[in-house]
Amino acid sequence: MSSKYYLPEDKAPLPPVNAEVLTTCCDYCIVACGYKVYRWPVGTADGGPQAHENALKVSFPSGPLQAWVAPTQHNVVMHDGRPHNVVILPDKEAQAVNLTGDSSIRGGCIAQKVYNPNKPTRDRLMSPMIRINGTLQPVSWDMALDVATEVMKHVVEKHGANAYGMKTYLYQYIENTYAISKFALRHMNTANFAFHDTPSDVTSTPGFRDAGFENFAPSYQDWAAAETLLIAGTDPYETKTILFNQFIKPAIDAGQKTVWLNVRETAGIAYAKSRGNALFLQIDPGTDTPVLGAILRVILENGWEDKEWIEKWVNNQWASDSGFGQGTRNTPWQWRTTWGQFQTKGFEDYKQWNLAQKEYDPKEAAKIANIDPTDIYKAAEMLAKPKADGSRVKASFAIEKGFYWSNNTGNTNAVATLATVCGAGGRPGQMVGRLGGHQRGYQSGGAYPRNKSPQKHAGRRRQSMDCDRYFYAGHTRFAHVIGTTWIQAMCGSAGLNAKFEEQVTNNPHQVRSFDKQEIIDTLKARADSGGTVVLNQEIYLRDPIGSRFADIVLPAATWGESDFIRANGERRIRLYSKFYDAPGDAKPDWWIMAELGKRMGFDGFDWKDANQVCEESSRFSRTGPKAYHMLKVAAHAEGKTLHEKLRELGTTGIQGPTFYNYKTGELLGSKRLHDTTLTPEQMEAEGRSMATNMVNKKGTHFNSQSGKVNIQKHPWSLFSDYWEWMKPKGDELWHTNGRINEVWQSGFDDVDRRAYIAQRWPENWTEIHPDDAAARGIESGDQLMLYSERVPNLRQSIKAQDDTDFSFASRLKNGWIELNKAAVTAVAIVTPHVKKGTLYSYYLNTNQPSNALQGRVPDQISGNYSFKMGVARVKKIGESKYKSEFRSMSFAPRNIV
Amino acid sequence: MSDLIKKDESAAGHAQCMLNRRQFLMYTGTTAAAVSTISLNLFPGEAQAKARVVGYPRQHIGKLSQLKENIPLDFNYPDENRNSQCFVVKMDGAKAGGGVGPQRDVVAFSYLCTHQGGFMNGKYQAVGEHRVLGQCPLHLSTYDLTRHGIIVSGQAYQSIPQVLLELDGDDIYAVGVMGLLFGRNQNLMESQES
Ligand code: SF4
Ligand code: FES
Repeated sequence: MSSKYYLPEDKAPLPPVNAEVLTTCCDYCIVACGYKVYRWPVGTADGGPQAHENALKVSFPSGPLQAWVAPTQHNVVMHDGRPHNVVILPDKEAQAVNLTGDSSIRGGCIAQKVYNPNKPTRDRLMSPMIRINGTLQPVSWDMALDVATEVMKHVVEKHGANAYGMKTYLYQYIENTYAISKFALRHMNTANFAFHDTPSDVTSTPGFRDAGFENFAPSYQDWAAAETLLIAGTDPYETKTILFNQFIKPAIDAGQKTVWLNVRETAGIAYAKSRGNALFLQIDPGTDTPVLGAILRVILENGWEDKEWIEKWVNNQWASDSGFGQGTRNTPWQWRTTWGQFQTKGFEDYKQWNLAQKEYDPKEAAKIANIDPTDIYKAAEMLAKPKADGSRVKASFAIEKGFYWSNNTGNTNAVATLATVCGAGGRPGQMVGRLGGHQRGYQSGGAYPRNKSPQKHAGRRRQSMDCDRYFYAGHTRFAHVIGTTWIQAMCGSAGLNAKFEEQVTNNPHQVRSFDKQEIIDTLKARADSGGTVVLNQEIYLRDPIGSRFADIVLPAATWGESDFIRANGERRIRLYSKFYDAPGDAKPDWWIMAELGKRMGFDGFDWKDANQVCEESSRFSRTGPKAYHMLKVAAHAEGKTLHEKLRELGTTGIQGPTFYNYKTGELLGSKRLHDTTLTPEQMEAEGRSMATNMVNKKGTHFNSQSGKVNIQKHPWSLFSDYWEWMKPKGDELWHTNGRINEVWQSGFDDVDRRAYIAQRWPENWTEIHPDDAAARGIESGDQLMLYSERVPNLRQSIKAQDDTDFSFASRLKNGWIELNKAAVTAVAIVTPHVKKGTLYSYYLNTNQPSNALQGRVPDQISGNYSFKMGVARVKKIGESKYKSEFRSMSFAPRNIV
Repeated sequence: MSDLIKKDESAAGHAQCMLNRRQFLMYTGTTAAAVSTISLNLFPGEAQAKARVVGYPRQHIGKLSQLKENIPLDFNYPDENRNSQCFVVKMDGAKAGGGVGPQRDVVAFSYLCTHQGGFMNGKYQAVGEHRVLGQCPLHLSTYDLTRHGIIVSGQAYQSIPQVLLELDGDDIYAVGVMGLLFGRNQNLMESQES
């Protein structure tokens, strides 16, 4: 069956008793559920329905929660050149993460992800290609690599290292990201380097980093062990499903209280509310800071702060000072903290500041956020009011993109402070962190050369380069794009697309020859003329970066096609086994980088297999939150490779940072970071401090200059000018966007290639509140035009004289903001689960990229985009076919309990 | 998006949305063999497809005149073995894909969640114009019964299996199943086929 149209099947093969079994994890979301791949040759017998006749050891029909094979969990792949059946199931014996063998809809259907020429995955890239006469044509690896490296060398020599820009995924396995960053940062040494989700190489959570919190310090048990859990900017049922289903939902059922900040009420929130112990603050976009500031105000006024914790773990004036604005170090932390707007002299100083801010008056905050002020008092009570016996509530704080991609610095500062005041951050069930997006698959192979970034404000340290702006300014002559659409994934994407057309397509130097040298010369001439040459490593041809702009396309091998390692949202590291042959000539990115590196004449790119890359990278992980170096030490002690050792650990893996007890030979993981309940004596007794083990400060303390937490201010004024300006005028509505359960961190397969999912979400959609819809004559299923004439775009580089010049208001006044038009179509879903006055669209349908409407004004402190901030007007332009047919989409609200 | 012509009520448009028995048989026919224990998904065969279709029993499950609006009537299909719990419901005028009856609002589905088999008895809900099954008590999946049981929100590995209906006068017959019933490796268990 090769249709992209979902044809329900009524049979699925069972793996036979002698099927080979390999372990892996889901390729998609941060949770990284454990999976088993059952493989047997096509043409040999399937398993039978009796328990002794199949590899699942279950008799069919099976019962609830028992093993079962859905038709979407079977596929046929090539293995060692022969067709094999594979059945890919969540691991029923999982000892961690997806206990009971649970999985979401995304991972549950992951068997459909693999290459099969009879299925919608048939368009995988299989051969290197060069664009000749406007058409991408297959060429040999040698030819493609030679052309790419000759042009790269020329660009760097003639135009400098920054003329070579790299835009890459941050997450797609340690081996690949290590090789990629070793190439771009250590060897090319370019400052023109950014990941798929930001315009510059910056932290996602500046407030966490400056307070001293790791993003992924908590364990999944910590989220479950909290008595009150605050969740801001996400519904983990939709995104992080198994973390919700296996940890948070059981906790809610057992009485855990939850406080939610979100613009939409989706299934997880609706469920929590139905259990009677949830408080849902349905705020307007971008208003988390005033709400958290006001919750803090109520806590402070009542004296509900965790005094003991603050006394012991919060920096006082001198400890704070020793880390702020001292020395000449050129770090992002220094850059931000010398700003002077966040630093406090400790808790009392923070308290005075908070009490003096008018917007943290609950009434005022409630007005800004458009919520009921009594809910702010309720939230404060749920999080911090001591119990009748005087003991404290164990509160934890979880955030994700809806929160940190609206007001990046302000929100992350505010939640770090709120958590600290409530005594959270370093104890079981009292933690703070991100719930996560993609899995943690980045291991840096080189340091970002910040001193080469041209982005510098007078009197301030250098900032990481805004690569989008650098590209807009025409400085990027060679764009190396790996595993990201780049254009649609960024804010104000229409402008970026236009600039690519100008730099690439409309440049007169286009390849018209089959001669290698002529091709090289043409592309060099393009770069010298001010144009851009584009190299794209991908698994599918993406529009437009691959299909319209790439000069050279290199086919990448991915999940299941090479052994890889990666960590999940509680730093759990597992091996993702290769279980089938990569399609055609596709190669893993680490291999591609090795070939590029060798041709560039760089040392240390002669890896023979993925394990070698992994083993080389391990020592660079030692100070990081998922340190896996001791895995290698343990492996070598046992005469094994790192990959072999990790394979033994199956779907359980091990939580980083790892330790090795040289005496007992035991490999030890770390349940949580910042674990203040761990003593040095315990660490020593467990052998965690012997020999090459590295006991990092973050294990038992915080990531700050003193090991204690910096309690920080979170001025609303840094963001409020942008927010006020953006606020809907006339018949505008807020326009925000985000993920949807059925397609989350899996969009690179789902949207186009899984019939079942494509049928559910065939195109871009926007949720609109019934009142807003009625006022505009809109019904579910109508085709809408969302449009705006005021999408703000920050122009080029800026020089500034004083602090206020970075504010949105002064940028606007000084002519640094350009207003662009943008329009995106979408299918209307009229639903009460989205806040009145707010539209919520899918964030990245590549054909209808809703990011075009979101302002391209990076956070002035951190450099992140405020992806969630936008406005739009909306009108009906007709009716979509989904309104009158019954096959695709569904307009039912997501909060029916 | 270029399709701006309203064609909802046209007979042709309507027929497109409703699976009739012939189309349904074609669906089933494109899957694999019924009796063989070898996977043939790469090479589906005509002969086996025919054998397959013959397998579903035509079973009387109730009378249209007996159905109360929005009150499901339970039955077992395609046999009396495990995981055959199904229901038929008249959805109070909500027109549905695969719906029979003058209002096309009579549909039948499996009760077993195609995530991990949660039993959704009592989870039929009419909310405004919407007709859903869910939330599943185990992991909260919800299905849209007007749209062939497609997932509204949730974790299932396929739509909730729809039982194909035929109306003969006042008599409602179940004649097939679209999608694999949870827990089965094939809807028609071998012991059922002859
Ligand atoms: S997408 Fe996430 S929750 Fe779903 S199976 Fe994969 S890792 Fe688990
Ligand atoms: S069994 Fe129904 S949602 Fe899991």
